[in-house]
Amino acid sequence: MNKSRLFLYAIIAIPIGLLMIPTMIVLMVAMIPTGVAFLMERGKGYYGGLTVGAMNLAGTSPYLADLWFKGHNIPAAVGIITNVFAWMMFYGAALFGWAIYSTTPSIVSAFMTMTAGNRITGMRAQQRELVQKWGPDVESVYEPDKGANENNESSQTSTAAKMAKAAGNGKH
Amino acid sequence: MAEAAADLRPSPEPVRPAPKPVLAGVPAADPPAADTTEPAPAAAPQPTPGSGGSFIVVRDRFTIFCDRPIPSLDMPNALAFEVADRKQEGRPLYALVCKPEMPARISVMRALKGLEIPAVLHMVDWGVAEWPPVDRKCVIVIYHRPLGGRVMESMSGQFKRIPDHLFARSVIKPIADGLVELGQKGIAHRAIRPDNLYYMDEQRTKMVLGDCVTAVPGNDQPVVLETIESGSCTPSARGSGTYADDMYAFGASVLMLAIGRNPMQGVPDIEIIRRKIQTGSYGALVGDERMPVSLIECLRGMLTDDPDQRWAATNIDLWLNGKRLTPIQAKGESQAQRPFRFAEQEFHSIRPLSYAMYQHWDKASQVINDGSLEVWIRRGHELNDLADGIATAIKSTGAMAGNKADADDVIVARVLMMLDQRMPIRWRDFRVFVEGFGQALAVAMLRKQKLQPFTDFINRELWRHWVLAQTKHLPDNQQYENVFKDLKNYLRDPNSGAGIERCVYELNEWQPCMSPLIEAQYVMEVKGVLPALESVSKTANTKLWPVDRHVAAFLRARYAKGTGTQIDSMNDSRPDRATIGMLSVLAIVQRRLGPELLHGLAMWVGGLMWPVINSYQNRNKSKELEKEIPKLIRKGSLAELFIYLDNPEERQKDAEGFAWAKAEYAAAEKQIYDLEHGQMDRQDSAIKTGRQAGTVVATVIMFLTILVTLVAKLL
Repeated sequence: MNKSRLFLYAIIAIPIGLLMIPTMIVLMVAMIPTGVAFLMERGKGYYGGLTVGAMNLAGTSPYLADLWFKGHNIPAAVGIITNVFAWMMFYGAALFGWAIYSTTPSIVSAFMTMTAGNRITGMRAQQRELVQKWGPDVESVYEPDKGANENNESSQTSTAAKMAKAAGNGKH
Repeated sequence: MAEAAADLRPSPEPVRPAPKPVLAGVPAADPPAADTTEPAPAAAPQPTPGSGGSFIVVRDRFTIFCDRPIPSLDMPNALAFEVADRKQEGRPLYALVCKPEMPARISVMRALKGLEIPAVLHMVDWGVAEWPPVDRKCVIVIYHRPLGGRVMESMSGQFKRIPDHLFARSVIKPIADGLVELGQKGIAHRAIRPDNLYYMDEQRTKMVLGDCVTAVPGNDQPVVLETIESGSCTPSARGSGTYADDMYAFGASVLMLAIGRNPMQGVPDIEIIRRKIQTGSYGALVGDERMPVSLIECLRGMLTDDPDQRWAATNIDLWLNGKRLTPIQAKGESQAQRPFRFAEQEFHSIRPLSYAMYQHWDKASQVINDGSLEVWIRRGHELNDLADGIATAIKSTGAMAGNKADADDVIVARVLMMLDQRMPIRWRDFRVFVEGFGQALAVAMLRKQKLQPFTDFINRELWRHWVLAQTKHLPDNQQYENVFKDLKNYLRDPNSGAGIERCVYELNEWQPCMSPLIEAQYVMEVKGVLPALESVSKTANTKLWPVDRHVAAFLRARYAKGTGTQIDSMNDSRPDRATIGMLSVLAIVQRRLGPELLHGLAMWVGGLMWPVINSYQNRNKSKELEKEIPKLIRKGSLAELFIYLDNPEERQKDAEGFAWAKAEYAAAEKQIYDLEHGQMDRQDSAIKTGRQAGTVVATVIMFLTILVTLVAKLL
């Protein structure tokens, strides 16, 4: 980000910030968990911060709406940030966001494992059908290193290798 | 009558009167129909109750009575039976049923059938027919029955000698004329002996030569009636012989007729030959006997040992016309002044020594290898070429690789060939003329004898040594070269359609197929193979291939153009291709030569098609074949079965489909492997995806919350 672009952002943000000081007060207090999350997850991507931030903001939004619709002034903002329930709301929402961030990988992993199992079952059934139709001679054992070598050696000439490739791509 | 249809049924009641007893000198043969007490020559069929016995009918004309043998007319290799001619009742006929273990002279039968040659027993017909007593097909020859019986009952017997004055016109002239006529047709009789001469009439005035087709040429001839060379040979290996051989046998027979007995009765064969070599055939046979003066000249002429000087029909004519001829004296053997001592005997000439060396084979090897024989020939006979030849034989054979005993045998055989070129090739107990090799092989094979000497003969190229030893160039020599070169190649080839089996069929034009499967069917022609296999299909071991080594060799020899490629494919190492090859052999023969329907054989062959069915990778196709083959079998067409099973498009489709399936399996296997072994990757991916999903969910919740809050405030 070059300096001219930073300057441009500052030109836009500073007046808006000055106009929305009560909102900024609330946000600065309410969004602390988001900042902590960004700091904790540095180097692991921004997903932790974004998740916690989104939930944190969701928890803050009712108080912000009160602020905006019932009087956008500093005393109202101070009233919010001194309200223990508001704090519970901000930090509870952030905690829920953290919980989402922590649990979804496990859920997705379990789902993916289940899907792979189904695919293996399907392919085993397909292999059984092949053996039933063509006899046991059709069977082969995949050996990663050997298979890779064989593929490399025969890829230029062997029709069977081409067909294997095609079959692997699901063309047959 | 070849392959004549024959049927077996109960014998009718006697249709003709019992034959009259023959004349003196011949036992009263031809027992009446009811007299069946005489032992049957073979496993005679049981007479059907209420009838006269069993019989076969050939050509719808000749009724041959299986239970009415005529032992007095038996031949050494054929048994005689009564025959009735349905067209000419009362015609005196008899049948000779050939023994299966001796090849018959089919080509001579074809030439003689129906011919009426003076002084030769008239062959009315011949053919192959089912012979119930031995439960197989046999060659049957039908002859005019000689009413006067045999001239001499047996070679060991005595008989009333023929008066001198009858010899010239009643015996010598007609038979010599008959031999001339046979010679003009290219036939040597080779069975002239006193017990094979017959009187056609009851008065015993008309003498004829008997059967000559029921055994290979010269096989039944006693040594005393054969020339020195032929007598030295194994009987079955004497070759087709020549007119000169017939004249010799005729001369010896006349001599016996003149004496009234066999002058050499009881003398061992070896001694007979030794005496003939020593004193000449005439001298040996006559010995101390008193010969009719009128016959001496003729007998000397016919018994001359040199075949070039032996009397022919012209000489006999001149002699009969009163022109007295003196047989040219055979050129005497070269005599060495210094004798050669061998096997406790002293020899001055080469031929007797050669014969003695053959008799003492192991001692012969010693005198050859120590050089004493060579020296004696060089110094005693001054035959430097012969001595050089012996030296060369020792050197060249000794230098050959192999065991010493074998090399010594080859050296002795080669030296004997050089010492006496006219003699058969002698290889220890194996004595054979090159010309008679094929017949001897056929006989040995039929008699299940050892075939090692025959393979040795070919592999060791004894025939070539014999050809090289001949000082006289024979036109057949080049032919021998070509023939034996082929035979050697057949022996080298271990596949079906080659081997010793091929040799025997190549060498014997009319040799029936000797396959154990169809041997009893006496199949001489290719078109007879399939019907024969069809007829045995119900009883044969159907696990065996119908095309065994003999059938393959027979087809290859007789029908090479039609079956060569198929037989080659039959030898394929892949079982399915070999089985298809076997089917193709049969299919092509059926398509080209018939018959159209072969249900039994089709069922047999269909049951052997498992390798072909299993060769299809596609199980569904295999099941389809299993269902379809029985339908094709029921059609009885091997050609259709072959076309269905050997469909190249189907095979290509199967092969390609299999390759696809294999590739598909491998691809699936790889994916499964990847799925099973990609746990770590999947974990990383799951974390990444889970976090993304969490973010999305949180964002969605955020927007929904803001939206709901704003909407609530605005409302």
